[in-house]
Amino acid sequence: MASGVESNGHRKQPSPRPSSSSSSSSSGSDTKSNSGSEKDDGERKVDPYGFERSNDFDFETYEQFMSSYLSILARRAARWKDTYEDKRKISRSRKLKRFCRKGIPGDLRPDVWMLASGASQRLAEDPNRYKTLLSQRADPTVTDTILLDIHRTFPENVYFNALSDPQSLRKPLQNVLEAISISNPHVGYCQGMNFVAGLLLLVTKSEERAFWLMDTLIRNILPDYYAANMIAVKAEQELLGDIVKWKLPVLHSHLSSLGVEWGLVGAKWFICLYADVMPVETVLRIWDCMFLEGSKILLRVALTLVTMNKDRLLAATNFPQAMDIFRDIVHEPPSLQCHSFLQNIFSVTGSMPKSRIKTMREKCVRDALQS
Amino acid sequence: MASRGGPQRPNGASQGKICQFKLVLLGESAVGKSSLVLRFVKGQFHEYQESTIGAAFLTQTVCLDDTTVKFEIWDTAGQERYHSLAPMYYRGAQAAIVVYDITNPDTFGRAKTWVKELQRQASPNIVIALAGNKADLASKRMVEFDEAQAYAEENSLLFMETSAKTAMNVNDIFLAIAKKLPKSETSGTPQPRQGVRLNNEQGGQQSEGGCCK
Repeated sequence: MASGVESNGHRKQPSPRPSSSSSSSSSGSDTKSNSGSEKDDGERKVDPYGFERSNDFDFETYEQFMSSYLSILARRAARWKDTYEDKRKISRSRKLKRFCRKGIPGDLRPDVWMLASGASQRLAEDPNRYKTLLSQRADPTVTDTILLDIHRTFPENVYFNALSDPQSLRKPLQNVLEAISISNPHVGYCQGMNFVAGLLLLVTKSEERAFWLMDTLIRNILPDYYAANMIAVKAEQELLGDIVKWKLPVLHSHLSSLGVEWGLVGAKWFICLYADVMPVETVLRIWDCMFLEGSKILLRVALTLVTMNKDRLLAATNFPQAMDIFRDIVHEPPSLQCHSFLQNIFSVTGSMPKSRIKTMREKCVRDALQS
Repeated sequence: MASRGGPQRPNGASQGKICQFKLVLLGESAVGKSSLVLRFVKGQFHEYQESTIGAAFLTQTVCLDDTTVKFEIWDTAGQERYHSLAPMYYRGAQAAIVVYDITNPDTFGRAKTWVKELQRQASPNIVIALAGNKADLASKRMVEFDEAQAYAEENSLLFMETSAKTAMNVNDIFLAIAKKLPKSETSGTPQPRQGVRLNNEQGGQQSEGGCCK
């Protein structure tokens, strides 16, 4: 959430753009302002990240949630300010982990993501890398594939839908994705990365930071989700199934009896890291943890969604009903209430020891390779 | 959002059979698979339709005489690397729509590869339709109607040129598939959706496979 929220000015801010952090740089960091009487209407139609709200957007639920969330944000912002008065003192620690789980204030978010993920250290070690990559030509077939998706990335976001707007993030998105493809030749471009890079651009307002965060995700944080063979994604879906079987055996066998294969559930959840899947506030809160703690949070989120909706899934009597529930639960009110949702992630999922998850994942990868 | 122009829906009038079929859409990236489904299911069209990641599941029902046909639709991602996920979606499918873009000959080539794969690996009785989409862009046409039709005839495919944008032939291609699908008691073996299972079906509530009840 933008810093405008902490100052309680969110509903009064005409700008659809999250307000800029003082240190952010490069691509299009100016706010795009609507004028005069369009403000209120524009504000209702466009959220703080530039996403247009659908005609059936549930303002009542949203306002209810925001009225309590704003005070939480204000409290957290004050705690961050007291504790990390000097941003340079932010370092990986148990305290930082606790703080990240409770949410990073919007104006600190890009800096903390950079620090927590190790991206800022990598940037410091190779400060010209992004510029150098931009000066190289990406594989033309990869570029063609990227170009097919540029105008199909967040088409309902004002920063991605304007063709001629100089503030448009389409060109920065293309730049970041091409740089990633050159930097990670075994990955190239995988559909879905466009949504991750797009949201990174909306939050960091900087091509270079978006690049470093994405590059660090690919190299150091995520399983090999974007590799050409898709093995890691298939394995992760099966791993989710195995975790559900371990934690919720009755539900697992019920869903099996309806014909639900875990390979059909969650591909986009993992590939997009919940971007364009869950409400944007919730995604950012998940990413607050992901950049510091790693990818296990993605499994915890999936397991939380399944656990919180266990009774509904148990009540499903056929395959389409079950699939409809999986489609709906990601954006329903409990998923929008990002603060309580994040609390649930660490309570309802129970213990998930790293070593056990690692062994389970290795088995799933072996199975995926054999299938 | 106005969703006019949807297909015929059951208005409670039909007392006939209810059939359920699994249908999968396949084809190169950005040929309009999701747009065809969105037009068919919701009667809508978006100039910029989001890229599909993984696959999307939707359902739509059409009426054919005294039969209600319920489609369970898997709309898949088009990028080549998602190819390895495709069998999961077309396994057990009774119908497939293979989509290409009439303005892009490469996508027609890719459609032919999908047809071959389905003929080799999908259910033997699968009904395959070929859709030459973006027919509204006739001035940019690069794949001739006759060529595609000849190919479809050789391979016993249903064939139509469609436009998700203008709605041309969109409902028609789904209806043509519905007509061609076997709707008798004996046809369309109910297929478990996966290899292992299924002990008891809780009072027969499940409606599996493509068999009429």
